[in-house]
Amino acid sequence: MTVVLDAVSKSFGAVKVLHDLSLEVQDGEFLVLLGASGSGKSTALRMIAGLETVSQGQISISGRDVTEELPKNRDVAMVFQSYALYPHKTVAENIGYPLKIRRLNRIDMEAQVRDVASQVQLDELLERYPRELSGGQRQRVALARAMVRRPAVFLMDEPLSNLDAKLRGHMRAELKHMQHELGITTIYVTHDQVEAMTLAHRVALLEGGKLQQLATPRTIYEDPANLFVAQFIGSPPMNVAHGTLDAGTFISGENRVATGGNDTVKNAVIGLRAEDCRVVAPEDGDIKARLFANELIGDHTLVTAKVGEDMLSIKAHKDFEASFDQPIGIAFDSEKIYLFDKDTGARIRNV
Amino acid sequence: MSRTLKQKLFEPPSIRQMAPGTKIIVYSILLLWTLFVLFPIYWVFITSFKTAVDVNAGPVFLPFIDFQPSLHAWKELFVFDYKDTLKAYSNSLIIALSSTIASVLIGSMAAYALARFEYKPKFGVILMFVIMMIIVFFAVGRYGVDWRLSCAVGVAIFVFLARALGHHFTKHLSNGDILFWMISQRILAPIVVVVPIYLMFQQVRLLDTHLAIILTYTVVNLPIVIWLMYDFFRSIPYDLEESAQLDGATRLGVFWDIVLPLSRTGLAATTLLVMILAWNEYLLALFLSTSKAQTMPILVAAMNAGERGILWWSMSVVIIVMIIPVIVLAIVLQRYISKGLLLGAVKG
Repeated sequence: MTVVLDAVSKSFGAVKVLHDLSLEVQDGEFLVLLGASGSGKSTALRMIAGLETVSQGQISISGRDVTEELPKNRDVAMVFQSYALYPHKTVAENIGYPLKIRRLNRIDMEAQVRDVASQVQLDELLERYPRELSGGQRQRVALARAMVRRPAVFLMDEPLSNLDAKLRGHMRAELKHMQHELGITTIYVTHDQVEAMTLAHRVALLEGGKLQQLATPRTIYEDPANLFVAQFIGSPPMNVAHGTLDAGTFISGENRVATGGNDTVKNAVIGLRAEDCRVVAPEDGDIKARLFANELIGDHTLVTAKVGEDMLSIKAHKDFEASFDQPIGIAFDSEKIYLFDKDTGARIRNV
Repeated sequence: MSRTLKQKLFEPPSIRQMAPGTKIIVYSILLLWTLFVLFPIYWVFITSFKTAVDVNAGPVFLPFIDFQPSLHAWKELFVFDYKDTLKAYSNSLIIALSSTIASVLIGSMAAYALARFEYKPKFGVILMFVIMMIIVFFAVGRYGVDWRLSCAVGVAIFVFLARALGHHFTKHLSNGDILFWMISQRILAPIVVVVPIYLMFQQVRLLDTHLAIILTYTVVNLPIVIWLMYDFFRSIPYDLEESAQLDGATRLGVFWDIVLPLSRTGLAATTLLVMILAWNEYLLALFLSTSKAQTMPILVAAMNAGERGILWWSMSVVIIVMIIPVIVLAIVLQRYISKGLLLGAVKG
């Protein structure tokens, strides 16, 4: 089912936490709301759930305006960050609670609970209480409770953030597979860019209550709309340097980079991803630098170089070795650079 | 089997694992304390079977050996004077139960509201209300204005002013202020307010009725219920209620299915406490009842005020029958008082 947010705003008193957010989530889509804490992503999700009122704008689910509907009438299921399991109910009762409220008869209810429980491998634990379960198992119960009544939309508020790193990776894959199997529209909130990139069909990146970019993970990585998106996505973050644009050349200190483009603004920011740089001999590089540190990550070596006062990260071959303060050259293809307007952060595209 | 650091720090060893010498010391301390607690009850029990001679002759401890038990006090209270005794007993039961139910019901609803919703009463509006009340009282008391007229005009002016000027006031109070105001009702010693309360019920001709005492006890115990239950409701994660809402439950359904089962420990403990307070209350009952609505504590006190001197034996009988309902209630409610009810609800 589709979810449409039309210029939705939210204010708490004088503080505006969400500015005219417009989104269209397609049927069966996995949309991730990504942002740092305080970006308004959780508020947006809670508004779709009906747990927060809408200050301005309209929310529709499956073509029906639900802006003024109670949560229970929206046909959405939510998985909370804290799981929010009912501690006085067994696993089976927890999963069956949405069905019990809908007055489903006992036999159907038990069958459906069993069915869902086996999908998330909880068959053996149905009679346990939440306090007798591990974190991962509790997570599964919360998931099963959301799945059991086949809602129009799944809402997930950082469901994996309380799990340890190994289990998180495992649950991520399971979640992606499950969403594909069920084909239920899912809106997922996270601050973790890896989760966003791996899970989403499309990512909506929020900052300061404003939508920065809504695109597929590939587009958002390769074609960021502005400086914020470019710096938020990617690990290590995109290298940036401040400078001026003049006659198709970016000038920063003693370094000059041919941009081959227009000079619509004077003050600009240049961006370059770590994996698009190569370490070469000092005289062969586009930029001269000094080696600040090199760290072997495993499949590559992360080289930090000092260019003037700026730091630059480069992903080099894992066999790369060099000594501190050694002069090096950095080479890159000119089509791999990104240019941004320094004042607005907007992307400057070549014509 | 050696103990872990956590056990050494926080879990005292069980008595069975102690060295014999320590064991003897621990058991004798426990025994001493048990005697200390149980002896008064034993003493009251045997005193109820003593005659006046046995009581006044000095301490005698063992029935059938030290003294010959007699049922005279029991007979007096439950055969000759049974009407008075049963009357006081039923009065006490009716008053304590009704006021407990009322204060727990109203108090827990108020506590839930305070725990879950944010109230912002305007300070200026409250001040206006208080001033208006003072004016109304003066008008009625000092200048003899008809109280109905005075109240109606006062309320009308207040509503009008509050609507017109309300939004000009910026300073407002919060839930914390409301809570403090509630508990401040208990800071005053009851003796301070007992005369005004007496006069009030005299005015409306409710003295010596169940209703007067039930109302008074309910009001007096409300702050305790609100304060205790507020803490309890606060300890229930709000996520659970939101989750139940999304699962399709109505507001009432959330309260019934989630909040109530999770707060039953608090409700049981609060009910027990308030019930005991109401059951044992003496001062207010003394002022508000004369004969018809007399409660058991008044009856006990009457035992040492008669012209026959202090009737220890009769007093003991009354005390024993007074203890019984409290013990029964404690046993019933104890089943609901359990630890760790909220464990596993949210990631801790």
